[in-house]
Amino acid sequence: MTPFRAMRRGYEARFEPVERVVLARVARDVADMLREEAGLDLFPDDGVPGLSTHPGPGKGQAWANGLLAPDELTDADLARLTGVTGVGRIPTDPAARRLLPDASKDDADVADEFRRLTQNDVAQAKVDRLEAFAALLDLPTGEDAPSPLGRHGAPPPVRVPREDAEQFAGALTDVRLVIAERLGLKSDEQVMQLTDEIMWDRQAGREIPVATDGRAARRFWSGVFVAAGYAQETLMDVMLSELRGRRPPGAPTGSG
Amino acid sequence: MGSAGTAVEEDTETDIASGVADPWVTIVWNDPVNLMSYVTYVFESYFGYSRVKAERLMTQVHKNGRAVVSSGGRERMEVDVQAMHGFGLWATLQESGARGAA
Repeated sequence: MTPFRAMRRGYEARFEPVERVVLARVARDVADMLREEAGLDLFPDDGVPGLSTHPGPGKGQAWANGLLAPDELTDADLARLTGVTGVGRIPTDPAARRLLPDASKDDADVADEFRRLTQNDVAQAKVDRLEAFAALLDLPTGEDAPSPLGRHGAPPPVRVPREDAEQFAGALTDVRLVIAERLGLKSDEQVMQLTDEIMWDRQAGREIPVATDGRAARRFWSGVFVAAGYAQETLMDVMLSELRGRRPPGAPTGSG
Repeated sequence: MGSAGTAVEEDTETDIASGVADPWVTIVWNDPVNLMSYVTYVFESYFGYSRVKAERLMTQVHKNGRAVVSSGGRERMEVDVQAMHGFGLWATLQESGARGAA
């Protein structure tokens, strides 16, 4: 992976094909996990609540004008009828809780109301941008696709249009938060130590092992975490430079 | 990564003092994952804060574990907290007089 650079048509970096495949895969996994944990399936069509699937669709007597009997209304039905979105599901997975955290540490009422008002929107936006992130990283496939190798035998760069860059960076954040939760990274020191180990291995030319056991899997996901962090750090370098209204540095460095 | 000045504490006090009429605050909490540059970017791009102020708040989050990043009415703070969660930052809202708000 090379650092992101500011180019005319967006921010560009070269990713190894395996880096593209793995990051796209994990982004889709995170999107699926979030959809399930937040109960977004109860609110199909991009946040517009749909009819819920009732366990016994036949037993319900349609109320006036096809409305369901009051005792058969679910939160999703109420949301659809009233325009007030409820919560599909309160996440239990710690990684999902990190992406959709409580908005109050000590006031459950504040946290509950906030979750009811915002969870669906926040979760859906995250799912959408994770899927867009994955699609952007997907290698061209199919017969019409250009060769995966560019003109000089190198893979084409990952190009993030400027208008999509914040979403791309946000998806990288969510991926990193979920991997960190799975790896049990709780402190700045743990993250720094893990990053040092991975960078040291990389400099020493050690291959990332195929995940065949717990230890190898941990090493593998640590490598993905560090790679995603590198992508985000270098993307932030150029985005901050442009945000601050000056030209990006001619020779971006990884920063540290 | 971003370097920041040292006058971190007083300035937040000033921010809060100037927001006496603002009953609620948004607090961003430290986490080991989010990059300092990303947090700074969020503070600059979303709140429109200057580089100096954004880096000062980022440093405060990193060193003190949290920082008050905005203040106002409850609904306004809910909008800010929702935006922070969207960015992947861990944020909460609370009444500004409450313990730990400053």
